[in-house]
Amino acid sequence: METQVEKLQRIGLLMKNHGLQLILALLILIIGILLLKWLLKQIRSGLEKFIKDANTVSIIVNSIGVLSMAAIIVAAAEQIGLKQGTGPLILFLMVVCLIAIGVIVIFRPLIPTLPFKVGNTVKAGNILGRVEATTLLNTRMRTFDGKTFFVPNRTILNDIVINYHFTKTRKIMINVVVRYDQDLLEAKRAMEAVMIEDARVNEKPSPVVFTLNLDPNGVELGARCWVDNKKFWQTKCDITEKIKYEFDKQGIVIAHPQLDIYQHNVQKDLENYSSDLEDEQMAVD
Amino acid sequence: MKIAQGMKIISKGWVQKPKGYRVKYCDHDMTINYSPDLDNAPLDSDVTAWRYAWKLYKSTKSDQDTVQEDELVNITVVDTEGNDINYYVTGTPKIYNKKE
Repeated sequence: METQVEKLQRIGLLMKNHGLQLILALLILIIGILLLKWLLKQIRSGLEKFIKDANTVSIIVNSIGVLSMAAIIVAAAEQIGLKQGTGPLILFLMVVCLIAIGVIVIFRPLIPTLPFKVGNTVKAGNILGRVEATTLLNTRMRTFDGKTFFVPNRTILNDIVINYHFTKTRKIMINVVVRYDQDLLEAKRAMEAVMIEDARVNEKPSPVVFTLNLDPNGVELGARCWVDNKKFWQTKCDITEKIKYEFDKQGIVIAHPQLDIYQHNVQKDLENYSSDLEDEQMAVD
Repeated sequence: MKIAQGMKIISKGWVQKPKGYRVKYCDHDMTINYSPDLDNAPLDSDVTAWRYAWKLYKSTKSDQDTVQEDELVNITVVDTEGNDINYYVTGTPKIYNKKE
C-alpha cells in the first residue's frame, strides 16, 4: 500500500523530470485560450459588418473556435511528450471537432435561447430592467430604481418578453387634453413644431398630431414621432416639457377635470307651478 | 408637384434641425470657450444644454461687479455652427451672468 510520503515523493520526482514541460504545456493552454478568445471576438465583430444574420456569424465563429481549441490542445499535448502518439491523437481530436461542428450547425437553431443579451433593456417576467447577467438557471436583472432581480429562465421562456433593443427606433406618444374653448389648430401646430424642431426626432416617418378624442374635459390631442431607441426616454421627457412651455407661450390652456353644475331651485319652481294652476283655475271659473 | 417634392421644400425651408448644442461661456479673461469643447461631440438635447448652462452659472457666479478668477460669464447655448439658440422656455435669447 502506497503511503502519503511515497505519493508525494512520486509527484516530486515527476515534477523534477517533467515539471518544465508540464508548466510550458499549461502556459500554452492558458495563453492559447486567452488569445483564442480575443481572436474570436475580433472575428465576430468583423463578420457582423458583412453578415447580418447573427446565427450564421455564431456558427462560423464557434466552428473556428472548436478547431482552434483542438490545435491548442494538440500543441500542449506535444509539449508534455506525446509526440509518439500524436498522429492518432490528432486524428481523434479532428473527429471530435467535426462531430462538435456538426452538432453546432444542425442543432443550434433548435436550442432554446433567451431572447436578449447582457446589457439589453427588457421587460421579462413582469419586470422592466437592464439584463446584467445570464446563467443556466436564471437571469440577473437590474430595475431602474436600483433593485436586482433573479428571474428564473423557465419563467422568461414561458412568458412574453419585450426587448427594447431589438428595433433601432421607437415611437413617442404624448397625449394632451386642451380645453374646448382653445384654438385646436394652434395647439396642433405648436405640438408638431416642437417635435419637428428637435434634432433627435426622425424625419421619416414625419411627426404628426392627431385629434384623438372629444373628452368630457376637453379635446385630446396625440403627438406621435419616432426616435432612436437609446434616446427614447430623454427625448420623450424633453418634448413633453417643451410642449408645456410652448402652450404657455401661446396661451393655450391644458384642460383639467371639470364639471358644469346647474343649480335647480325647487321652491321657486313649485311657487311658479302653483301660481300657474291658480291662473288656470280662475280662467276656467 | 408631387407630395415628395413638397416634403423636400418643407424640410429645406421650414426647419433646419441643429445637429447638436454646446454651452458657450467666457472665463475671467473673457476668452470664449465651449463645453463640450469643439473636439468632442455636442449635446443632443437643448433642454439638457440649458440645464447645464444654468448649473455652470449657479456654481461659478459671484456678487462682485467685476469678473472673478473662477467665474464664468455670458453663458449661453449655441448650435454646432455657433449660432445662438433661443431659450425654449421663453422663445427668446438668454444669457446667464451677463458681464462686460
